Amino acid sequence: MNALDIENISKKFGDFYAVKNLSFNIHQGTVYGLLGPNGAGKTTTIRMVMNIIIPDEGNIRVLDRKMDEEMKERIGYLPEDRGFYPKMKVGQILLFLAELKGMKKNVARERIDSWLKRFDLDEWKLKKVEELSRGMQQKLQFIATVIHQPDLIILDEPFAGLDPINTKLLKDIMLEMKQEGRTVIFSTHRMEQIEMICDNICLINKAEKVLEGNLSRIKKDYGKNTVILDYEGETNFIRSLPEIDKIDDYGKFMEIRLKEGTDSQVLLQKLVGKITINKYEVREPTLNAIFIEKVGDKDEKNLISH
Amino acid sequence: MRKILSVIKREYIQIVKTKGFIIGTILGPVLMASFIVIPIVVSVISVGQQERVGVIDLSQEIFEALDKKLDHKLKDGSRRYLLEKYEISTDPEVLRKELSQMVLKKELSAYIFIPKNISEGGVAEYVSQHVSDFDKLKNINEALNSVVIEKRLRKEGLDPQKIAQYIQRVGLKTIKVTKKGEEEDTGGTFLISYLLVLILYMTLFFYGSIIMRGVIEEKTSRVVEIVLSSLKPFQLMVGKILGIAAVGFTQYAIWAIFGFSASRYSKSLISSFFPSASGFKIPSIPPYVFIYFVVFFILGYFLYGTIYAAIGSMVNSEKEAQQLIFPITMFLVVPILLMMFVMRAPNSSFSVVLSLIPFFAPILMLLRICVLTPPFIQVGGSILILVLTILFMIWLTGKIYRVGILMYGKRPSFQEVIKWIRYK
Repeated sequence: MNALDIENISKKFGDFYAVKNLSFNIHQGTVYGLLGPNGAGKTTTIRMVMNIIIPDEGNIRVLDRKMDEEMKERIGYLPEDRGFYPKMKVGQILLFLAELKGMKKNVARERIDSWLKRFDLDEWKLKKVEELSRGMQQKLQFIATVIHQPDLIILDEPFAGLDPINTKLLKDIMLEMKQEGRTVIFSTHRMEQIEMICDNICLINKAEKVLEGNLSRIKKDYGKNTVILDYEGETNFIRSLPEIDKIDDYGKFMEIRLKEGTDSQVLLQKLVGKITINKYEVREPTLNAIFIEKVGDKDEKNLISH
Repeated sequence: MRKILSVIKREYIQIVKTKGFIIGTILGPVLMASFIVIPIVVSVISVGQQERVGVIDLSQEIFEALDKKLDHKLKDGSRRYLLEKYEISTDPEVLRKELSQMVLKKELSAYIFIPKNISEGGVAEYVSQHVSDFDKLKNINEALNSVVIEKRLRKEGLDPQKIAQYIQRVGLKTIKVTKKGEEEDTGGTFLISYLLVLILYMTLFFYGSIIMRGVIEEKTSRVVEIVLSSLKPFQLMVGKILGIAAVGFTQYAIWAIFGFSASRYSKSLISSFFPSASGFKIPSIPPYVFIYFVVFFILGYFLYGTIYAAIGSMVNSEKEAQQLIFPITMFLVVPILLMMFVMRAPNSSFSVVLSLIPFFAPILMLLRICVLTPPFIQVGGSILILVLTILFMIWLTGKIYRVGILMYGKRPSFQEVIKWIRYK
């Protein structure tokens, strides 16, 4: 069964297409990555899934049913813009949000207590939200997203602003959800997170789908024409070598895309003696490189800043 | 519906718990009570003392009559004013200085200087440290006036009692005719209309801005999208408006209970101090006016509440909201400015038309109901127009709210808002 089926949805704001003719399917029990540069239409897509914005065209089916208000109780949604009523107490706000998800009060109370304990927040239950640190509030937001044990969890930029410890905590829980058979969709621009967690991805650019499918298959399709070079020394000469298609230089580390039909060993020989090579690995391209290629060079700067 | 209830409950509890609500709810009646109680307390304190008043009578013919006339009694039956005559032995100016000293030393509370030509248009003087006790001044002035007039009449050989009968003032009672019959009105209608309209005006303003502030808070705290993952924007808006309405009713109920008991208590309080004032009528609100008041409060609340909610959704801060509120404020202020006009000519076609305009109707139709009984077709018509306008506004503001609540950054232009309304 599919957790989400999106069929040819479009949304226009005035003359501007936020999402255009987008389709993808997500299998139940998988982790799905929705990626794309800023303003590509990720958040609009998610809002349409959540029935917060109504698509102009197309169909959305969630858990094999037409999306409607009732289905919201089976979905947990962590929006990109998130916060709480600052004057409410931690326990109260979680109870309020759980009630909105249709939970019984006593069940909700029990589950709130166990989640707060798990996140080390049980002592803060009676404190006002505004007294909590940013990190604590982020944990609370996550609790609010999963408190009603949703079948589908949608996380819009879940890692934004999280420290490494909370990032790990969140990642662990995402995988735990997957093992329990729930489906997780998350959007981000951080490619290494997608590479580590996702089974399938959809890349959106300028309102349209550019790439979709199983992550390892996508990479395989690109073939082993990428060299990861860990080096020291002067590398300017490399750019003019005939084997090179594209270079992404990070200063100590370089991702090189070879021209089709080129032997990677030939390149290696040309490098030996001119620079110190710490590592020379031939592999599939990184998602980062694929992203840059698909989205285009003019978005490159934007991407590196993330 | 269950979700709307959760929102209503949250709004209600969160607001009722705030210091602002508690202080406002207590302060309201305290202010009301102080209007009733303080004047009584003040008058009790000042009335409770006997006052020694010196009299310098240069005309030599006023004192005895004045002493007789100024026979106001205190509660215990003793005289309020104890007049003491001071004979002029030397220069009157020397005596005046002496008495002034006595007033300063509080041996006298005041003295009255009566010039020689008092019967020929001379002006008497009242000298005291406090010359602002109008009640006392009125007593003395009236007594002096009637004594001097009697003297003048006698001099001309006329009978003061007969003259008094001849020039007795003609009274003009105001009687309000309603369907139930005729009823004497002692100015209460004016007072009640004024009070009810003012309460309506202030609470519409007050609760409207609470709604707006709530919406802005949801936006700035970024909680709104989390809530929208469980319910529709429309449900959130309706829940908020209803929850704050419940707060308003709570506050009204507390005030009403307080007001009724206070007016009852104050009446027995007044008559215990002034047995003569037991006939004093505290103006009461006719039940049908009260019902219309509640009806127009509810209708006005929803009309303005939805607009305030929409404005809150369009802006990012209260400061930004100020410019957008201005036209709404005008809608509320205009009827207040027109109040006097409508009261004077409640049945003129201008008044009728004004009271049918939905944005003015809550205040002006209520006002017309207070001062006369407008034809039912007009009252029913204005309620119908209001209800239809409210339904339209809920539809319209719901569309604006739905988009606005998720928009951050620049305040939208008018054209953009029109676009929002057109979104599917």
